[in-house]
Amino acid sequence: MQDNQKPTVSSTAALQREVAELMIECLNLEVTADQITPDAPLYGDGLGLDSIDVLEAALEVSKRYGLQLRSDSEDNKHIFSSLRSLSDYIAAQRTR
Amino acid sequence: MLRVMTWISLRLGRRAGRVVLHLIASYFLLFAPASRRASRNYLRRALGRPPRWRDLYQHFFTFAATIHDRVYLVNHRFELFDFEVHGEDTLRRLLAGGKGLFLMGAHLGSFEVIRALGRRDTDLRVAMVMHQDNAQKINAMLAAINPEAVQDIIGLGHIDSMLKLRERLDEGGVVGMLADRTPGNDILYPVPILGTNANLPSGPFRTAALLRRPVVFMTGLYLGGNRYAIHFDPLADFSTVARGQRDAAVEAAIARYAALLDHYCRTAPYNWFNFFDFWQPAPTATPPKAG
Repeated sequence: MQDNQKPTVSSTAALQREVAELMIECLNLEVTADQITPDAPLYGDGLGLDSIDVLEAALEVSKRYGLQLRSDSEDNKHIFSSLRSLSDYIAAQRTR
Repeated sequence: MLRVMTWISLRLGRRAGRVVLHLIASYFLLFAPASRRASRNYLRRALGRPPRWRDLYQHFFTFAATIHDRVYLVNHRFELFDFEVHGEDTLRRLLAGGKGLFLMGAHLGSFEVIRALGRRDTDLRVAMVMHQDNAQKINAMLAAINPEAVQDIIGLGHIDSMLKLRERLDEGGVVGMLADRTPGNDILYPVPILGTNANLPSGPFRTAALLRRPVVFMTGLYLGGNRYAIHFDPLADFSTVARGQRDAAVEAAIARYAALLDHYCRTAPYNWFNFFDFWQPAPTATPPKAG
């Protein structure tokens, strides 16, 4: 398992856009992918998601890219802090 | 303080401990005007008549008694109590599915009796989910009473706890929540309870809907003396609810939850432990999420 390693791969703008669109569709967000700044926080002031929204996005993303998310991974907080960090993680860990 | 109280309760017995409870109930009745006001407002609705002083006293005493009994329950002293259980068949049938379920309770009666029942009769472990701050407080309290009990509390707040919750369910486990209070910014639904609209948080039901699990209502009502009545009622089943129908299903579940609260508040009125203005209007209009 590579769970506790920091992703060494950076995500491309194309992947970030794809992830943004996936989140918009799954959470019914009233924004477009262009309006989501890669570094804006997903929680609270940024996109204004709550932990249930983030869970929903997490489940969707893990299904789409074949990720294994685990509750005891110390990086979860970082991974789900912004669109960029989530996309970086996907780029590093994806199995499909 | 809590350790001293625990020591008195365990060494000198439940009867001695209960003398202290009368002092606590008297203290609240005399010196806690905000709690007294909340109690009176609630009891007027639940009893359908103006409450008397002895009703208020009974209300505070019931609250203190259930907290006191927690000391014994957490320490596995089940022989002290007389439990009657209703709806256990429903619970067992749903558990047999092996995919876990949610137990949704309220600040109504004692949830500790339900966790105790799980430990006594089965290897069933109920993990209670609550807001991070409360989880820390409760864990500190449980640590004082019985260090082994600590692990059964999941603190809500970020993605880790949500994933932990899902892992519990995937193992066929039971996740308990008290769904009548909101930890913060939650979407609220106005629903009638005891004749007036109250705003209930949607978070617990949204979580159950997202994870597609059955939901069973639970309450452990204190009946006086050493008697408790535990009730399990089917509340909702999100197992087959598609994403498009989710909001409607959540709304229906909250309405059913409110109806159950209404019913049990009238059945056992002194068990309501929300000592604040539960029926206050929402601070701002919060319409359900679009879509």
